[in-house]
Amino acid sequence: MDYRNTLTTCTYCGCGCNFFLESLDGKLTGTIPCKTSPVNEGKLCIKGWNVHQFVQSERRLKQPLLRKNGELTEVSWEEALAFTASKLKEIKEANGSDAIGFFASAKVTNEENYLMQKFARAAIGTNNVDHCARL
Amino acid sequence: MAGLAAAFGSGAMTNAVSELELSDTIFIIGSNTATSHPLVATRIFRAIENGGKVIVADPRKNQIADFAELYIQHNLGTDVALLNGMMRVILDKNLQDDTFIAENTEAFQAFKDALDDFSVEEASQITGVSVADIETLATLYAEAGSASIVYCMGITQHTTGVDNVKSLANLAMLTGNIGKLGSGVNPLRGQNNVQGACDMGALPNVYTGYQPVTLGPANKKFAQAWGVDELPSNIGLTLPEMLSGIEKDEVKALWIMGENPVVSDPDANHVVKALEKVELLIVQDIFLTPTAKLADVVLPGTSFAEKDGTFANTERRVTRVRKAVDPVGDSKPDWEIIQDISNRFGFEMTYTSPQEIFDEIASLTPSYAGISYDRLEGPGLQWPCPTKEHPGTPFLHKDGKFTRGKGLFHAIGHKPPNEVVDDEYPFWMTTGRVYAHYHTGTMTRNSESLDFEVREGFLEMNPADAKTLDVCDGSQVKMASRRGEILTKIMITERVSPGLVFMPFHFEEANVNKLTNPAFDPIAKIPEFKVCAVKLEKA
Amino acid sequence: MIDRVKEKINELLSEGSVKGVVALVTANGHVAPCLFQKGDDLDTLCLGDTEKSGDARYPLNRVLCTIARQYPDDVFGVLVRGCDERGLYGLYRLNQLEPDKVVPIGIPCPESLAQACECKKPYPDDIVAGEKFEGISQQGVEDMDNKDLSTRFSFWMDQFSKCVKCYGCRNICPMCFCRECSLECEDLVSKGDLPVDIPVFHLTRAMHMADRCIDCGLCEEACPSDIPLRLLYKKTAEIMNTEFGFTSGINKNEKSPLSLMGPAPEK
Repeated sequence: MDYRNTLTTCTYCGCGCNFFLESLDGKLTGTIPCKTSPVNEGKLCIKGWNVHQFVQSERRLKQPLLRKNGELTEVSWEEALAFTASKLKEIKEANGSDAIGFFASAKVTNEENYLMQKFARAAIGTNNVDHCARL
Repeated sequence: MAGLAAAFGSGAMTNAVSELELSDTIFIIGSNTATSHPLVATRIFRAIENGGKVIVADPRKNQIADFAELYIQHNLGTDVALLNGMMRVILDKNLQDDTFIAENTEAFQAFKDALDDFSVEEASQITGVSVADIETLATLYAEAGSASIVYCMGITQHTTGVDNVKSLANLAMLTGNIGKLGSGVNPLRGQNNVQGACDMGALPNVYTGYQPVTLGPANKKFAQAWGVDELPSNIGLTLPEMLSGIEKDEVKALWIMGENPVVSDPDANHVVKALEKVELLIVQDIFLTPTAKLADVVLPGTSFAEKDGTFANTERRVTRVRKAVDPVGDSKPDWEIIQDISNRFGFEMTYTSPQEIFDEIASLTPSYAGISYDRLEGPGLQWPCPTKEHPGTPFLHKDGKFTRGKGLFHAIGHKPPNEVVDDEYPFWMTTGRVYAHYHTGTMTRNSESLDFEVREGFLEMNPADAKTLDVCDGSQVKMASRRGEILTKIMITERVSPGLVFMPFHFEEANVNKLTNPAFDPIAKIPEFKVCAVKLEKA
Repeated sequence: MIDRVKEKINELLSEGSVKGVVALVTANGHVAPCLFQKGDDLDTLCLGDTEKSGDARYPLNRVLCTIARQYPDDVFGVLVRGCDERGLYGLYRLNQLEPDKVVPIGIPCPESLAQACECKKPYPDDIVAGEKFEGISQQGVEDMDNKDLSTRFSFWMDQFSKCVKCYGCRNICPMCFCRECSLECEDLVSKGDLPVDIPVFHLTRAMHMADRCIDCGLCEEACPSDIPLRLLYKKTAEIMNTEFGFTSGINKNEKSPLSLMGPAPEK
């Protein structure tokens, strides 16, 4: 029996509300707003209250996909990563660093945004990094 | 954010959200707060309970407008004219804070001179708001002991977005309403980690903490820290520029992590063409979005519930994201995916946890230097937090000491939107959100409770226009702009004035961004989502 | 008091009379609902008081229902205050929990919390530790009743107009468990727009809660628009009491008058 409440921060708007994701035996069962959060003081909007619902949706992507003969086909991580890295190398060599662009995201964590811009700048050698701040 | 950075030296919300409760007057412009930022609306409702006044300016009436001391419905794309009109009134009535202006700002004279030629009557004519209402608006704001401005995408998503923001900064400085408790200029960030993505240098011109990429000490520091001989010092391409770079054969590969430009970007048909053309399209996401469907390779990342990390909210507060459940299927946290590719690409990364990445960020970023995971147990920390002992910073520019030194006034005149109505496209169209959905709906439309609330897109239309078009509530109409056309159901409401229609942008099957105008602000490069011209006919 | 509570929980867990105990824990610098099981460290257990007493209360019975639905054969302990115990009685009555599968661990509320809640019975029948304070009269309801009709009407309509339709009042409620919710019935409440239908949305819920509300106040604390929901439900409860002599959860075995067929019972 594994019942947990994991304190985290909402993935929707910029309010940054804190809540507990309630789980029982690895399945998300609910969202409980955090009363001691200075941001939302135990309150949430309709999106926050239901944020656990999409996480384990049947429609989630569960496997890497690679386009083969025009169709996106399930492949192993090894194949997807090897393809991506070698293709990036090939394009960098043929067209230069600035031929590659990166859309980072207001949806992923700080650490992940940091890592993407680090990869773009240090590994690829381009400042073509942006995200949807403007949208 | 470029506008605020130019005026104050920092492009972030100046105050903590909770301080709004303490404001005597809150001026809300271009923000549908109750719908898009409900937990900010909480503070606004409390300010009203505490005896504070709310004034609202928005071309489309919103829920908080019902509680406003004064609500004005100005014409779409006339924010600068409205704000200049207010400032004209403030100067005419001598309501400005001369001491604050003299001690803490610069370029006031040039700003004032530029306003000399502008009358309240002109403002009234451009905005469609009566002179009396502009006067009341200005007086309510200027005479408040503490006044806060709250704005959102209704201000920024214009070709004059930066001008709009600079005008709000002018208004705040003119009346000394900045750098005090409950008094400031507050852009509400639309997405949970927009602030963080900017802080982390996911921008073409800066590293973390807004350190410039151009040749200089930051460029050197990062090259050294990252173990490379040199880092590029030319400013990179913005998101719309990368898309047009594809058309010009300059950009050959695009790696999209957790974004859905096919639905979120203006002129969607154009975006699709670019993504179809690019030689290599890598999409990293949690659902097979319309953007992912165009990819050459799709990498399944994890949602926020399946990984550790941090977000930075609209008030610069950094809080923890914690893993609640294991990733679904074979999906992996996005940081692991980037690291895996980097290692295969030949640039070694050996992080064992997001915490290790965060420590590197803190070591390279002065405003985050004092933040660490152990200090984030509890309420979180608001940057700047330069040292391990620093308590964080709830409000910026304290006592008029602006980040850039002195606050800078900008002389700004009204410019019309890039596209205006004409005989062929006679309706103004604007876009926004509904309470139950978020952005492109990737997450919210996969939540059954939210999908139940609002299942499909709709177009808000004034009853007078509905009568002219001979349509009723729930009828289908065909809506077209110069860029595309869509079919949509209509909702008849007085919330929009005659000649103006509104549509939410969450719905890919009635994708209003096929119609929106990609023309963008010359400085911030923000597209003009909030204004375009359309024609309508009964379907 | 907390030491006695820990002792009791430790006793229950180590003798194996319960599978787990639903209570509160301090973790990550915050208070969270938690399931303590045998062998767990009870040092971090707390009673939900941070800056003020009872300011970090959570719907523990709701948590218990979630777990019990998955583990119907096991017995669980649960930390209860007066309102939570009323909730347990209601949940037994409504067949959501079985009395012989629940071991309540009762604590009384301090006077300050009883006052703030205007709680009629700020203590459970069975108390593990602590000193109990007597019930408080419903001054808030009386004050509102003393206002004239049009003042009351405009007060409530203004309050309801602030609603952002988060459904938080329902979602946090330890007494809300219906699979089909009347708030989502389109014949009653239209969907898809803000503000919500007023006063239909709020009064529909008030009616539905008439024989259920245990006056815990969690709904009001969860409301992003600070609508005084507790006052509304206190009034509804008062009507139930005047008309039917019924108070939700006060007597362990009492049936609700709303679930009985036939004429109204004698007052």
